[in-house]
Amino acid sequence: MNTVLALAPRLQRAGGRDARITTSLAITAFAVTTGLTLSVVGGLLGFTARAEVPVPEGQGDDASVYVILAWIAVVLLVVPLITLAGAAARLGVARRDARLATLRLLGATPREVVGLTVTETAWQGLVGAFLGVLLYVVLLPLCALLPFQGTTFTVGELWVGWEGLAIALVGVPALAALSGAVSLRRVTVSPLGVARRETPKKMTWLRVVVAVVGIGTFMVVSSAAGQLGAAAGAALLGAMAVGFMTLNAVGPWVLGLVGKAQLRRASTPARLLAARRLLDDPKAAWRVVGGLGLAGFVAGALSILPTIVAVDTSQDPQGAILMDDLVTGAMVTLVVAFLLAAVSAGIAQAASVLDRRREIALQSLAGTPAELHDSVRRRTVLVPLLFVAVGSAVTALVMFYPLLGVQSMLSPQGPLMLVGFLAGGCALVFAATETSRPLLRSVLADTVVRAD
Amino acid sequence: MNTATPRLSARGLVKRFGSTTALAGVDVDLAGGESLAVMGPSGSGKSTLLHCLAGILLPDSGTVALDGREVGGLSDRERSLLRRKHYGFVFQFGQLLSELPAIENVALPAMLLGTPRRDATELAGRWLASLGLAGMEGRRPGELSGGQAQRVAVARALITGPAVVFADEPTGALDQSTGHDVMQILTETTKAAGASLVVVTHDAQVAGWCDRRIEVRDGLVRHPETAR
Repeated sequence: MNTVLALAPRLQRAGGRDARITTSLAITAFAVTTGLTLSVVGGLLGFTARAEVPVPEGQGDDASVYVILAWIAVVLLVVPLITLAGAAARLGVARRDARLATLRLLGATPREVVGLTVTETAWQGLVGAFLGVLLYVVLLPLCALLPFQGTTFTVGELWVGWEGLAIALVGVPALAALSGAVSLRRVTVSPLGVARRETPKKMTWLRVVVAVVGIGTFMVVSSAAGQLGAAAGAALLGAMAVGFMTLNAVGPWVLGLVGKAQLRRASTPARLLAARRLLDDPKAAWRVVGGLGLAGFVAGALSILPTIVAVDTSQDPQGAILMDDLVTGAMVTLVVAFLLAAVSAGIAQAASVLDRRREIALQSLAGTPAELHDSVRRRTVLVPLLFVAVGSAVTALVMFYPLLGVQSMLSPQGPLMLVGFLAGGCALVFAATETSRPLLRSVLADTVVRAD
Repeated sequence: MNTATPRLSARGLVKRFGSTTALAGVDVDLAGGESLAVMGPSGSGKSTLLHCLAGILLPDSGTVALDGREVGGLSDRERSLLRRKHYGFVFQFGQLLSELPAIENVALPAMLLGTPRRDATELAGRWLASLGLAGMEGRRPGELSGGQAQRVAVARALITGPAVVFADEPTGALDQSTGHDVMQILTETTKAAGASLVVVTHDAQVAGWCDRRIEVRDGLVRHPETAR
């Protein structure tokens, strides 16, 4: 084996407690991603299998509608899932980059450095995928309790098959390794470059253009859905995916604007630091709150459900079942989106504390009060969190307006449901970020500041 | 030697970490405006001495007093406030916040003591200009050379008008020529500001910039009162 690659396990052990925490967080993130992805895919397969069963004479064929709805749930959850996996691969990147840059200075080649990272993240991905499979198996009987189409699923219907598990066990480590290698580009360019943080490049307004085009595409397609016939479902799904993805493009740009506005008004050290931190890396801030932003989008889209459900279905028992199922499915999707957002935010916050360990400890030695770090940590999450959650929900309402018309927006239950969802989601994400508080305390308690 | 009440005074400092004795009974006095180099090899206890003098660590026995006031009985929060108000710090590297431009890094300690942002920023600008960093106010630590970053750190340490500045290997990450410049600025500006200076170093040339030097070995001061 290559000498540098052979160092991987030793370097991992030499990282001490911080490295163990970082590794545990990454593995947790990969496990949650794998477990929930398998559960969502299992649901999709369950609906698909039911749709393939011939419909008895005299019964309407709603099964294909369920498949489309299941696909919508998959589309809505795919970005939060990818975000969480990406966050896992980037965990502790500052410490790891510094360590690898030292190896580069000692003569390791770029290829060896990439190899080392790929080995490390792939191993974490593999352990995470394995635990994720276990999580999926544990969740299976719980998911099977959910009633759809007038009956609950059997475990067999939600089973992704051995090949599904094999794909997860191979795919997750491969994606983790790829993401880790991509995040290393700076180290391989220059061994000295990584330790130096420079003024971040400005994000261009082109992101807004991308967002307007994406959202506009959905609005145009949805308003013309009636003329598309059989292709309407697929077209809507595709357009929604595009619109949804654009939130990821425009989110960091908008957070950068929020940071600028905060900076102008900052009158206290905590506000100044929080604004600078947001402005310094809006993409990192988006990784923390973006999950909830995307969940807010889902909540906004779902807030129109009460209007649809309110349609008189007393003459149509099958229609009533479909509407009930629509609400159940929506709730499940939303809960999963919020859970993903909370896990993403909690993990990103913990990683941020570890990445800033040295500067936090030195500030503390110089007399900076511990409350400042807490206040900055909270502000860094809370301000973008509220902004993103509300902004995403409004975007969703705008996007779905042509599809459902003004009536759908007028139901009082819709906005109430939306506010409830967002308040619950924000509380969940905030609680998740507070889990990094003990970690911050332990960093502040450390009077021996070691070099990275 | 100055016979007035020393600005900083330590008596019989003992500090143990498990079975290792880092300080075994150290006495140190530092007069107002005086600079003191604490020398010694790695592991000799010199950084522990600095941490005890600065109130970061509490000694197992012995006392530390600032202007005659004992600091050992203060709570953790009170010692943190003491460091913020009365002490300045220059570390080897890493004390500047990477996301803040130079001027905000310097202004932050003043803001932490309640100075309004506008006033703190103006004051920081004057400090940076006086240390030859005019025009670099908007640069972030990653865009400064090692010597420039240490000058920003010196400005950051002095902006609150501290009684004592503690410097832990302030030139440890610099080449000899840049280290020479930084020490000149550190000693001259600290003296001009009326602050005392404690420099921990293992480099005799760096120590040569200070008024006095002491050498710590095995937790004891071996060669006290070596004049410059």
